Amino acid sequence: MSDAASLTTVALRPWPAPTKDALSKEDLSAQIHQLTTERGHLRGITEKALQEEIDAGKSVPEDVMEGAETEPKKDAPAADERLKDIHRVRNEMHTKIEWAYFAAGNALNLVSLLLSRDPAKALDSGYTQMFREMNVPRGSFGIDRTVRIDDTQREEDSAKRRELVTKGSRMEALDWATDSLLQAATELETGIRKETKYWEEVLSISEKGWSLQRTRREARNAPFAVRYGLPEASNHFKARGLAPLRMNKDGGIILDSTLSLKPKTMRIRISENDKIVGTSHLPSQGGLGELAIEQSIQLARDSLFEEELFHEISMESRNLLAYGIELRNSVLHITTPALGGQSSHRKVLIDCASRDDNTLAGSDQSQHRLAQSIAEGLRLLLAHEHRMRLYRRSQVPPPLTQIKRQQPGPPLLRTLLGLFSHLTAADALHSYLNTLAKTLKSAGLDVWLDTSRDASWAKLTHSLEQSPMKDLSAIDQLLTLFTRPFDGTATISLPSTSGPQPENITIATRTFIGQPTFGAEHKISLPSSIIKVLDLEPDQSRQFKFPSTDEAQAYVDWILSLDIAHSVISKEYAGRVYSTDHEPRVSILSKGSMKNLAKEDSVLVLLEKGRLTVTATANTSLMTGTAGESFTWDGTPGKATLKNKVRSWIA
Amino acid sequence: MHELLLYGQVPLSRHDQVLKILAGVAAMQPRRVLERRIIYKPTREPEEPGAHLSRRGGTQNVVGAKPAKQSGARDLFYNQFVQKLSDGDFGHANGTHEPQEKALSAAVGPGEEPKWALEFQDMPDTGDRGVSIRATASTDLLSGDPHAWMIAAGPHQFVSEYYIEGHRFVHGNVVIFLYRLLHEPGVRSLETAPKVDLPAFSALQPFDPSGAYMLEAKVRVQDLNTPAVLENGVGQLKAFRQQMKGCVELELPDRLAMDTRVKYNAREAPPVRRPR
Repeated sequence: MSDAASLTTVALRPWPAPTKDALSKEDLSAQIHQLTTERGHLRGITEKALQEEIDAGKSVPEDVMEGAETEPKKDAPAADERLKDIHRVRNEMHTKIEWAYFAAGNALNLVSLLLSRDPAKALDSGYTQMFREMNVPRGSFGIDRTVRIDDTQREEDSAKRRELVTKGSRMEALDWATDSLLQAATELETGIRKETKYWEEVLSISEKGWSLQRTRREARNAPFAVRYGLPEASNHFKARGLAPLRMNKDGGIILDSTLSLKPKTMRIRISENDKIVGTSHLPSQGGLGELAIEQSIQLARDSLFEEELFHEISMESRNLLAYGIELRNSVLHITTPALGGQSSHRKVLIDCASRDDNTLAGSDQSQHRLAQSIAEGLRLLLAHEHRMRLYRRSQVPPPLTQIKRQQPGPPLLRTLLGLFSHLTAADALHSYLNTLAKTLKSAGLDVWLDTSRDASWAKLTHSLEQSPMKDLSAIDQLLTLFTRPFDGTATISLPSTSGPQPENITIATRTFIGQPTFGAEHKISLPSSIIKVLDLEPDQSRQFKFPSTDEAQAYVDWILSLDIAHSVISKEYAGRVYSTDHEPRVSILSKGSMKNLAKEDSVLVLLEKGRLTVTATANTSLMTGTAGESFTWDGTPGKATLKNKVRSWIA
Repeated sequence: MHELLLYGQVPLSRHDQVLKILAGVAAMQPRRVLERRIIYKPTREPEEPGAHLSRRGGTQNVVGAKPAKQSGARDLFYNQFVQKLSDGDFGHANGTHEPQEKALSAAVGPGEEPKWALEFQDMPDTGDRGVSIRATASTDLLSGDPHAWMIAAGPHQFVSEYYIEGHRFVHGNVVIFLYRLLHEPGVRSLETAPKVDLPAFSALQPFDPSGAYMLEAKVRVQDLNTPAVLENGVGQLKAFRQQMKGCVELELPDRLAMDTRVKYNAREAPPVRRPR
């Protein structure tokens, strides 16, 4: 402020141009010329000489100073001081003017900047050069009138404010922490509830006996999977028997798509004359929606089993085309021999149908039991095959060779077919033999008959008890019997040899679908006593094989009638009998009642369709006509015996 | 027939665990196996190694006579009987056995599995395939007294008998056998013939006092002539080893440890008297 005060007394005047500094060339030479005239040659002007002159104080050139300063000339030191003084003052003044200029410029800049908030005013010209170069944006500075507050109060204020801010932010942070904790708690709670529910369900599945396993890949939401497929199923079905137990939002188990498939079942239908007369079905389990998870797992397991069963059967059927099995529209048609003695055209149809589908069940269900039994039998056989797979797998394997072992498919249809044809063949034969025995008995011939459908079935319990295979369960040993060839036997004694030691005809019925019989076959073994009747060599094999039941029946008929004719009747009329051929016909010579003529009666024994017919023809050479008498036994009791009858004719 | 073998060791404490793991690996229940093995040694002494080379020193043979065909030294091998046992075959601990004059019998009924078998095991091959390969031969006996037969069949001498207790699994073509040897302590050196009446099972003690088990993984190959079959067998065995890694380490046994040859014992030289 003192500067400002001193400035008030200063007169503003242009500063004299510094003439000394700016000397042109002419000026310089002129000055040199002047110097030469005043002081002589330049060589004479030395510092020393000049100093002496200054010390002497005399020779200040008078021309140097111009204008009004005439007074200091007189007083040399005073003038000098005065000059210095003037210089100093001038410098001082100069500085102050500079300051003033600067301050005025600043003030102007400030005002201009303040005013530059108004876009209407163009104030760029008001800035100083320097400020303009700084390029301060317009309107970037504001000014306001404020009440001045004490610094202490302000500090307090700001401290208070700071405290408020801290408190506020702390509260906010706490709030946030609480929120997130609460959120975490709820999440945890739902998580726990979810896990608990999931684990409860998993546990209940596990308690029902299903085997659980960890999923191999770290699948999300599915830490466990249930293995419901049968462990010994064929590869394709084994792979299908696994379902992941996925967790839904609440922790319940989502039904896997494999579990929620519609359950299927193998359906057996019996068709007679293109009419369905029997259908097998499994009890329906209701809709999938209302089932517990364990039940749907069980349904899926059942369905898988049934599908595998059908798969195996259809694979097997490819090799069995020769037995009248064909696959049409994914339905297997099996033409079966009439079961139970009915001669209708019967077929067994096998297909894979939905388990709940009962619409196709016809009204006539007379063969329902048969269908159901076939289905159950096939299921048992597949289950047996599963256990046998484990059994075979657990045996010590044979050494490795180049030859690959190939396991043939399980004999399901083959067993079924074999059973069908065996039962048909054996039953037909045995029932025929029964009628035959009855007929013969009614004719007074003592015949002993013993039949058994299958030799191994007869002594089943015994063979199971004595079995050396301890690793196999009884049910498997039982079912193994069915996959082997069936062996039925029938023994009928010859009518001629009745007594304590009868000679028997043994008819073995052997059935196997495959080598070597390819179906049912009857093997008839003849006793040794029939040799002479048949005119066989003693060492000749007395076994004959017949592929069909009719042929076997006809052969038995023939043998028995031969025996009756050649043994029974011959024995009665020993010595009077001769036979002309290998037919069941004997000729009996008897003395004629008149004229002592020899009478020859020919007796023909005919066994056919369970009826025994004996025809006696009187063959008298003299008589022209043939008088014949005939009698037929068909099993009805209370008739005359054969011997009596023949006697009545012959005698 | 040839056997490809790998062995591992299972300490007693881990036996049950390993048994369960193996049941899972093989997907079958363990099958308990009890066997008695009776070892016989040929009574003829083996020739001194290298004896056949210097047997006929000099050239004092009759000129013109055909030189006898020099055969290499024949190795002699120990043979063993394997008798399959069941728990009922062992005697009772409390009951005192009256000495019964009965002989061993290998007779089995028709349709039954043979109980006795004569087993011959060759020394393992020298090839390096990562598994031990040896030739074996097994002959089932169906009747007769095995001991008498063995003595009569060749000059054999009873060495010892021991028992094997373990469980067997079958995993594909790999036969897994987890077993340990048992023996009747004390009586071994006194016996000259195998026992007819077996001791009580409880009287047997593990040969290894710690009770550790051995794990044997075996693949049988019919012959080694077809490399593909052999490779297949080796591959299966190695795959099983890989599968068992971390549970039981299966290793290639030392070849000489499985030597079944009868060792040549040099006859004791007569003591040389030194002049004093």
